[in-house]
Amino acid sequence: MNDNAPTTLLLVDDERTLREPLAEYLTGQGFVVREADSAAMARSLLGTETPDLVLLDIMMPGEDGLSLCRHLAETKKTPVILLTAKGEAMDRIVGLEIGADDYVTKPFEPRELVARIRSVLRRAERVPEDAAEDMLYAFEGWKLDPLKRRLIDPEGTLVPISTAEFRMLRAFCDHPRRVLDRDQLLDMVQGREAHLFDRAVDNQISRLRRKIEADSRNPHFIQTVRGGGYRFAAEVTRMAQDSR
Amino acid sequence: MTRWLPKSLLGQVTLAVALTLFIVQGVNGFLAWSIEKDRAETGLVNTLGLRLVASARIREGGAEKLVARISPGREVSRRSEQDRPRRMGRRFSGTDFTRETGFQTLPQDRAMPELQERLAETLRENGREFTDIRLVERPVSADPIAQRFLQRLALRRGYAPEDLPDSIAVAGITDGNGWDVVRAPIRKPHERYGPLFPLLQAGILTLLLSFVLWLVLRRITGPLAQLTTRTEEFSRRPGQSEPMEPHGPEDVRRLIGAHNAMEARIGAMLAEKDVMLGAIGHDLKTPLAALRVRVESVENAAARERMVDSIEDITLTLDEILALARVGKSDAAPERTDLAALAASVVEEFEDMGETVDLETQRIVATIHLTWLKRGLRNLVSNALRYGGGARVSVLQEGDAAVLRVEDSGPGIPEDRIADMLEPFTRGEASRNRATGGAGLGLTLARAVAEQHGGELHLSNRPGGGLRAEFRLPL
Repeated sequence: MNDNAPTTLLLVDDERTLREPLAEYLTGQGFVVREADSAAMARSLLGTETPDLVLLDIMMPGEDGLSLCRHLAETKKTPVILLTAKGEAMDRIVGLEIGADDYVTKPFEPRELVARIRSVLRRAERVPEDAAEDMLYAFEGWKLDPLKRRLIDPEGTLVPISTAEFRMLRAFCDHPRRVLDRDQLLDMVQGREAHLFDRAVDNQISRLRRKIEADSRNPHFIQTVRGGGYRFAAEVTRMAQDSR
Repeated sequence: MTRWLPKSLLGQVTLAVALTLFIVQGVNGFLAWSIEKDRAETGLVNTLGLRLVASARIREGGAEKLVARISPGREVSRRSEQDRPRRMGRRFSGTDFTRETGFQTLPQDRAMPELQERLAETLRENGREFTDIRLVERPVSADPIAQRFLQRLALRRGYAPEDLPDSIAVAGITDGNGWDVVRAPIRKPHERYGPLFPLLQAGILTLLLSFVLWLVLRRITGPLAQLTTRTEEFSRRPGQSEPMEPHGPEDVRRLIGAHNAMEARIGAMLAEKDVMLGAIGHDLKTPLAALRVRVESVENAAARERMVDSIEDITLTLDEILALARVGKSDAAPERTDLAALAASVVEEFEDMGETVDLETQRIVATIHLTWLKRGLRNLVSNALRYGGGARVSVLQEGDAAVLRVEDSGPGIPEDRIADMLEPFTRGEASRNRATGGAGLGLTLARAVAEQHGGELHLSNRPGGGLRAEFRLPL
């Protein structure tokens, strides 16, 4: 995408020691970077121009990152990646609930940050408007929570799954009863982690089966289709989040 | 024996006071009883003595005066010596005295040697002379004279027949010729209730007082018990509930007040620690992030790699310290989770990094903090891979505990070092240099996670060699 028009990023962080080298690095990666050292300055910059993506530090003096993030999610559709010094699941959920698209934990690997920026931009392009982003997927009593990335079995028990497994199951839920070949699955599942790109899809499928199938050798949900591909056999419905 | 004794303060104090009360009451009752007995005996001796003194006077000629005083106008002086006592006896209400040739003892008679001695003493003091003395206790039914006397007494004083004594004391003295015999009813102490009366009285009093005492004590021990529950809860999860309202007696109120102050102080310190660690985390992580970004511009690839490794090392240690500070204070409620799937997801993480981990599971559902337990299990597996040369993870149920077990085939840990290994910043001999990794917080954090779940982390050497580390979590 940065072949035709360069991608503009707004970097909001009060720490000059981080902001300046990061801006320099991102510029080197081909982005146009605007800098702001506070939420107030970010707001005034956003009044005159619209960046493609905002990188936002959570802990800042004055108005904090979460508050600005909420404002952005309500007024503009600009994607946001949070930069946080904490790293607990709670922070992530809070961040994602108020409308952030992703988050990275300090200190992050610069290359990983770039990968996530690209991934979020790609998602923003592909799904222009998905109001029901955080609706639960439901199939035969199972529930998949896209916001908290949690899988709950029919008895209400939490079944821990990895990020890759979550993405794959979500891809199946988005395309139930359709045959998806390995390339399609890889494309839908590929996320920020580099190692995901070259991991065998079949391996992920077998892990997922171990967790959701009653008998993983005789799968009910994820069926292998002759000629290369998989099909999710269950009917999937979307439902609102339980009151939290 | 001692296991039947009460264990609580309330029970022990009540029992102690009840016992003391019972003993004191018992002694008291016994004393009262014996004083009364003594008084009754003295009374009996005096009555008998008086009558025997009087019998001499009557026989020596004072009788006229006496009789005249009692029944004026009667002539008694002309009566014969032999007649007189019998008549006198009849006149003087039957038991005053009779004159007999010998002291007749009956089979039912019971000698009263002690009182006989006292009676003899009394008579001597009063100048009544005698050569022999007898004192016996006799059932009223065996003595017609006594019966007549008592019947008359009952008539005159309006006693009910059952109120009359059952036995009578019969005393006689002789001057060598004949016997002067007198009688007196024996009033036994607490005749109505029997000798057990003082005991019964003490028992009732003790019960009554114990009940009152129990009521009063409960007012003291009630707040104490609440304070105990409160302290236990506080030690498990500090700062979760409102301070306790001081109540009960003044001392206990002050104790509760002091406890509240202590809770507040500890709570403030814990909060301060969290804020401080959070600040340290943030303040160190931002410059680390800046450093990490700058490292990208280092030209020399080998130098860059080493720098990246160092930064990752610092980050890892920082994360472990912060995690250790936060474990147990998670706001999120624990959730019912499939432990087999949890173990599988941890094992898969290691597989993705190219490690081989054996897994043997059965489906067990437990209520846990997913992120924390995963972290703890991850630490155990990574230890096994690092020091034990391989890891075998199993999920099983033993009794009412879920067990997440990680075994390796390494050298294990010397028995006397096992406890040390759980302490922060301790590492096994094999990993003295930092290259093999970790700040020595992995097992400490794992133990903290186990405790957060109300369970324990158990380390032991396997019989066949190698270390076994397991989480035992209550189901």
